[in-house]
Amino acid sequence: MAVQDSALQPELESGRPSTPLRAANAARNGLALILKTNTGRVAFAIVLVHVLVAILGHWITPYPPTEYDLPNRFSGPTAEHWLGTDDKGRDVLSRVLAGSRSIVWIATLGTILGVTLGTIVGVTSGYFGGKTDQIIMRFVDWFLAIPSLLLAILVINMSRQRFSDLDESWLVILTIGISFMPNNSRVIRSAALAIKPLEFVQSARLRGEPTIYIMFREILPNVLPVVAVEAAIRLSFALLLTAGLGFLGLGVQPPSSDWGLMVSENFRHIGQVPLAALAPGLAMASLVVGINLLADGIRQAQNLPDTGGS
Amino acid sequence: MTNAATAEAPLMQIDDLAVTFQTPRGSFRAVRSASLEISRGEVLGLVGESGCGKSTVAFAMMNYLPGTAQVSGAIKFEGQSITQFSDAELRELRGNRIAMVYQDPLTSLNPSMRIGPQIVEVLRHHLDLDGQEAQVRSVELFASVGLADPERIGRRYPHELSGGQQQRVVIAMALACDPHLLIMDEPTTGLDVTTEATILDLIVELKDRVNAGILFVSHNLGVIARVADRVAVMYAGEIVEEAPVRDLFNNPRHPYTIGLLSCVPQPPGDDGIERQLRSIPGAVFDAQSAQTDSCLFAPRCPIASEICLEASPPVAHVSDGHDARCNKYSDVTDDLWGDLRERQDKPESDSALPVLNAEDLRKFYGGGRKKYILFGPPVRQPVRALVDVDMRVESGRTLGIVGESGSGKSTAARAIVGLEARDRGRLELRGEALEGDVGDRTEEQRSSMRMVFQNPTASLNPKLPIKHAITRALRKFAGVSSAESQDRAEQLMDAVGLDPLYLDRRPSELSGGQQQRVALASAFAANPDLVVADEAVSALDVSVQAQVLNLLEQHQRETGNSYVFITHDLGVVRYVSDDILVLYAGHVAEYGPSDSVLSAPSHPYTEALLSAAPVPDPDAEPTHIRLEGSVPTLRSELKGCFFAGRCPRKIGDICDNEPPSEQQGPGGATHTINCHIPIADLERLQLSDSAINTRAAD
Repeated sequence: MAVQDSALQPELESGRPSTPLRAANAARNGLALILKTNTGRVAFAIVLVHVLVAILGHWITPYPPTEYDLPNRFSGPTAEHWLGTDDKGRDVLSRVLAGSRSIVWIATLGTILGVTLGTIVGVTSGYFGGKTDQIIMRFVDWFLAIPSLLLAILVINMSRQRFSDLDESWLVILTIGISFMPNNSRVIRSAALAIKPLEFVQSARLRGEPTIYIMFREILPNVLPVVAVEAAIRLSFALLLTAGLGFLGLGVQPPSSDWGLMVSENFRHIGQVPLAALAPGLAMASLVVGINLLADGIRQAQNLPDTGGS
Repeated sequence: MTNAATAEAPLMQIDDLAVTFQTPRGSFRAVRSASLEISRGEVLGLVGESGCGKSTVAFAMMNYLPGTAQVSGAIKFEGQSITQFSDAELRELRGNRIAMVYQDPLTSLNPSMRIGPQIVEVLRHHLDLDGQEAQVRSVELFASVGLADPERIGRRYPHELSGGQQQRVVIAMALACDPHLLIMDEPTTGLDVTTEATILDLIVELKDRVNAGILFVSHNLGVIARVADRVAVMYAGEIVEEAPVRDLFNNPRHPYTIGLLSCVPQPPGDDGIERQLRSIPGAVFDAQSAQTDSCLFAPRCPIASEICLEASPPVAHVSDGHDARCNKYSDVTDDLWGDLRERQDKPESDSALPVLNAEDLRKFYGGGRKKYILFGPPVRQPVRALVDVDMRVESGRTLGIVGESGSGKSTAARAIVGLEARDRGRLELRGEALEGDVGDRTEEQRSSMRMVFQNPTASLNPKLPIKHAITRALRKFAGVSSAESQDRAEQLMDAVGLDPLYLDRRPSELSGGQQQRVALASAFAANPDLVVADEAVSALDVSVQAQVLNLLEQHQRETGNSYVFITHDLGVVRYVSDDILVLYAGHVAEYGPSDSVLSAPSHPYTEALLSAAPVPDPDAEPTHIRLEGSVPTLRSELKGCFFAGRCPRKIGDICDNEPPSEQQGPGGATHTINCHIPIADLERLQLSDSAINTRAAD
């Protein structure tokens, strides 16, 4: 007890609620826990490299990613072109590095949108319960029955006619968000259902707190750990979906260097320059594996006994 | 092992046992120093509050601790050190010679297997019986633990049995191989008092019949007094006192033991004077602390002096078989924890208007489901959780609601505060009619009726600092600005005996008792007229329970608020209540002033509850009235009396065919008993029962 007291003293003396400080502490503790395992360290390294490339990719490319060099087309790996060139003589390494940004950006925003929608729907459905819950969940079930790729094609085709001037990446983000919402809301709903009968929620009802307040101030902080794991798992699905849409030509349009698009463009020439199609695929695979391992790390970190206060 | 060794060595002997768990958060000294001996044919009671290391001692006796545990000291079973045993020897030991009964019977039984085959499996595995023999033996075992219809009960699944029957099955399985040592870890804690009494009867009877040593672990002194021959009291991982049961209860020598005994609410003494409840300040010693060089109880001890802080006290020999780990064992007195003060009478209630008035309160559950989801006839009749209950709470008074689990106590509380909208009936707060759902009531009504829940950990949001619950209530109800709310919150923390510095902490940093004080501070924030406490002290250790009860009483004296106090503990309800409402299966069995309800003549159900309640006095005569089974779930209107199915005083067909009428009890116009038996007959029946007589005089 004495040890705890002194450890808490600095926070207590500041007088004001130390919630941001605690949140930062929690994040740091979480990261420390993830980094404790080998899996966590590897995953963190992989994801960190990808994030750096996504941020810096445009500036570290050896050649401009869209520069044609027709005499040098279909080149294998050479000193000038480490990963060779594609059918238009563009440098594959440059295109892979530059392509990272759009896919990471789209997948991340799409996941955030999907998880946010799912959390709102899930917490609402779980908190209200009864008939409201039944109706929302049947609607969600109906959504779930549509394969996400099919849904994506549907949304993109429909909205392309409506909003022809909208950038494709926004359409992909919207699509990911909508197609992820149902699964997410199911998971968040079950977490909210476990919190709802607890006494502190009933206390809030007895204080006459507004429903919105109870859902988002009392219940939400308690389902956030579930939301975090869910977001990490969903992110890798989002990457695959983004790449899949690019491959089908529904995502970002040529000549940009989207990984899915690159695979589809170079797929025809896989006999001549296999690396041109394989490189974006491998980049994709390493990112997905990294994120999945990180999700495992987060889950493990959360399964550890509550470390609050000591 | 030679026979000579068996004859000489005690059955189980542990000597200076210490168990330390290595956890990611540092080492945790669950047991610091424990020495015990158990012989065949005796029951050793091990008592202490939660976190004192009782269960760890029990598990150590089977060498059944996880790999993170470091064990030092000797554990000898029939003269052999079991720490040296191989895995195969341990398996043989645990099944055949040491058996264990846990708190929750459901976790000890396989839910997907009928109980007959489960016990047959044990018999065949450990005793090499063939199928036919095992079958015959299992029926004998079922009969020996008092299960009705032992021939056929083996065909049931665990969930088809009541809690008491399940625990009997578990005990039968433990007895299957004629163990030499039986370890029972809180075997009656999860059960209703009525069921607890029947299980305790069984254990007392087994003690004489089976020639085994029994280690009985419990936090409940009343239960220990009923079954144990010798008692060891544990505090912070140390055995602080060990004595024969009568010695321990009549002549306790360790301040902690005396404290535990004085924290239990006692009925008024022979002089009829009700005593103020005493409490042990502080909380159970932090087992994580490495401190060893002083008496561990010193921080809470009223007679601790220099010498107690200098060194860990030696074990002092008080008398034959009576040891106490205290420097001052010869100085302790009964008034160690303050005088036995007479309880002050409560100020007169202004009876002009009751704070709460409920008439014909009714709540049925689950009638909503239809055959075709939204249409068609209802699938099942609704459960009749609360049927036409009346109650009235005067200002400055406390109404206690008692009953077994399933009797409708919590439903009543939830209907009053509006967490569940009632189906029918009137509810008035200071004469103002209340809506069913709390959301439809006015802010003022919500602020004058607050609730405290059973589970202190769940009543505070684990992700928010504890001041959240208090300041929100202040801002909502007292209209206090956020700057001012900090000051007011600090005052409230002071009032409930907590350091205001705790306001910024998370609930997980507080002990259960502290969390419950925060819940009280939040409830008291807007000076409510009525606080509904649903089992508010049931989850707390006795020493902390006494602190909270005194706090509630003090607040009532100062502000004149009223309580509706729901509990299954008759000792507590007797102590806090002015009026008592006894509920059974959603019906009022008896309602009236506390003294009249708790003395004869009373409703047969009240009588059974009183008879079942364990008394912390080894000399108390065992009582005879026992209820088997559990409260029924009623789905249709009853033709006869709600209690007829279990009533020990049933008089005949009238009980099955006519609902009982309200009779005025001896407590005057406000005392009603719903029973067919005339009051005079009830009085004669109950007073002629000598056991009841003895109890009433206690």
